[in-house]
Amino acid sequence: MKPSKKANSAGPGAVPDSGDMVTSTADGAEEAISLEALMAGDESAFEQLVVQESPRLFRVIVRIVGDDDEAQSILQETFLQAYQRMNTFRRESKLTTWLYAIGINLARASLRKARRLSSLEDQEVERMQPAFNRGMFVETPAIWDPARVTEFSDRQQLVRKGIEQLPEDYKTVVILRDMEEYSTDEVARMLGISSGAVRVRLHRARGALRKLLDPHMRRLPKS
Amino acid sequence: MKFLTALKTALGLAPGCEEVNEFLADYVEGTLEEKTMAQFEEHMDMCKCCSHYMDQYRRTIDMTKEAEEVVIPAELAEHTLSFLRENKVFSQDENAA
Repeated sequence: MKPSKKANSAGPGAVPDSGDMVTSTADGAEEAISLEALMAGDESAFEQLVVQESPRLFRVIVRIVGDDDEAQSILQETFLQAYQRMNTFRRESKLTTWLYAIGINLARASLRKARRLSSLEDQEVERMQPAFNRGMFVETPAIWDPARVTEFSDRQQLVRKGIEQLPEDYKTVVILRDMEEYSTDEVARMLGISSGAVRVRLHRARGALRKLLDPHMRRLPKS
Repeated sequence: MKFLTALKTALGLAPGCEEVNEFLADYVEGTLEEKTMAQFEEHMDMCKCCSHYMDQYRRTIDMTKEAEEVVIPAELAEHTLSFLRENKVFSQDENAA
C-alpha cells in the first residue's frame, strides 16, 4: 500500500493571500499594512511592519541562535536588508514569509560563524528513530506515565536541551512548525525546501526528541 | 495485533508499523487521504506498539510547544527603528515619516 496524501493546491511558491496587505496574527495583533506603500519605500508603513513583526521574528531568531544580544542584532540586520531589498520581493509568497526567510538565513549564518554547533550529528538523529524488522517494531515502546509527563519538574529544560542538541536543519523546522506553529507550507517557503522535506525533518526531529525524553517519562515500576 | 490486520499487512494490503511510522507527521497534520487515514487508524487500534509510539509522539509535540517562553526585550521595535535611522536608512527625524 502506498499512503496517499490530500492534494494541496497551495504548494511552495504559491501566492497565499491577496498580496495587497500585510497582516499578522502574531501575539494577537492583526493589523493591515499596505503592501503597495511598503514597496514604494514608505517609511511609515515600514515602521509599522517593524513594530508588528519584531516580537515574533525575535522569538524565532533567539530560539535559533540562543543568545538575546545576538538575536537583537540579527533582527536589526534583517529589517535593514528587507528595507534595502524590498524591490526584490517578487510577491510569490507573503511578505512576512520573505522577511522571516531573511532573518532565518542570517540567524543560521551566525550560528555557523560562531561555531555554536549542535552536539548531535545527522547520523545520530537517524539512529534515534525506532527500529523495525520486516516492517514491524523490534521493541514495544514503553508506556509513558501521564503524571510524569505533566509533573516532571525538569521537563521544559529537558526539551529545551534536546532542541538545542538537534542539528541546525532539524532544529529550525521544530522551532518554526512545533513552537511557532507556522503551517508546513509556510515553513517550506521560509526555508526554500519542499513541504515533503519539512515533514521528513520534522518527523526525524520529533523522533529524536521522543528518544531523549523516553527514559524520563516511563512509568516507574511499582515497588 | 489482531490476526486479520496482521494478515492484511503481510499481504501488503494494509500498512505495517514502519509505514505508519514514516507517515506519522502527515497523520498528525491530517493531510492523509480519507481512505489512507482509515487504514492508519485501523492499524493504530490494533497495534499496541504504534498506539504507544503515537502517544509519545503527540506528547513530545505538546511538550515542545510549551518548552520555552521567550522574554521579549523592552522597546525591541524602538531599538530597531533607531538602528535604521542611525544607518541612514530612515530619515533622521523620528517624526518625518
